[in-house]
Amino acid sequence: MVKKIFFLILLFYFLTLLQTSFFLHFPFRHLLNLVLIIVVLINLFEARKEKLGLFSAFFGGFFLDIFSENFIGFWILILLAISIFIKLILKKHVRIPVISRV
Amino acid sequence: MKLSYRLKIGLIIILIASFFLVLNLTPFGKEIKNFFYLISSPIQKIFWKTGNKISDFFEVIFRIKDLKRENEELKLKIQTLEAENVTISELKKENEILREALEIGLEKEFGLQLAQVIGKDVSQDLILINKGLKDGILEGFPVISQQKLLIGKISEVYKDFSKVLLISNPKSSFDAKIADSDIFGVVKGKGNLKILFDFIPQEKEIKEGDLVVTSVLGGIFPQGLLVGKINEVTKSDLKPFQKAQIQPVFNIGNLEKLFIITEW
Repeated sequence: MVKKIFFLILLFYFLTLLQTSFFLHFPFRHLLNLVLIIVVLINLFEARKEKLGLFSAFFGGFFLDIFSENFIGFWILILLAISIFIKLILKKHVRIPVISRV
Repeated sequence: MKLSYRLKIGLIIILIASFFLVLNLTPFGKEIKNFFYLISSPIQKIFWKTGNKISDFFEVIFRIKDLKRENEELKLKIQTLEAENVTISELKKENEILREALEIGLEKEFGLQLAQVIGKDVSQDLILINKGLKDGILEGFPVISQQKLLIGKISEVYKDFSKVLLISNPKSSFDAKIADSDIFGVVKGKGNLKILFDFIPQEKEIKEGDLVVTSVLGGIFPQGLLVGKINEVTKSDLKPFQKAQIQPVFNIGNLEKLFIITEW
């Protein structure tokens, strides 16, 4: 778990750097939020009992806040809300045997 | 159990809220941001440069069509601007001429109309100008340069254009005199830009370099307009009058803008 979290921190750090310095030069810069996409994907595809989605939301949001002009917590709250929302929806309304087995 | 779970959640929320408050309301938040900027700046620089290069490359590829269109538009714009430039330089030249004329005081002596030479027929000693009946030009109006040099007179008027008979045209003949003297004579055109000063009384002494100006006698031209310089004097005891070649002071090749005297 610690390894996974460490990997997540590194991943979101580089994703945020890419987003704020590399993709800024492209015309789709306003549409692309890599951190958000990865957080949503992790939350969608992780096992239900796993908490990695929440950690990813926290660290992704933290790095986005660091490299943006918003107050610290802006993106953390948004991403945490999104990941909790996804988890709730998956828990209450979605039944996929393949995913539940994972 | 249920209560402890709620308590847990409440504690977590309080912890997170206080964490954000501490970060945002104290200088600690700035310190954290500064730390991350410091360690990230070398990587960010590399990302920034690479992104810039790659986006430039793709921009060129994606914008080839646009660039072509833009290029054509710019070329068209250049042409328009060049045309405008020509018009502006023409206006500038015209302005300079008018300014020069104002300094000489031509406008105080005469009613003037500025005209542009649009055609020259040197072999016939004629020029075509861009002012005509529409501008109030009539046959016989004298034509001068901005330096007050006599060029000729209007011989034919059209609606928008007029023909100017140069003083060197064989059909041209008028009274003139040597400047600052009472030596009168008749200036006749000889064709091919040559002018003759004829009917000068034998007893009068004229020499090369004397300036010939229009006199009030003929009434064709206002007096005092410079016709040319005496070039060569022909004197014969057998004839009652002496003749002299006049060198015109204007250069027909340089004539571009002229003044038509409408009142004098």
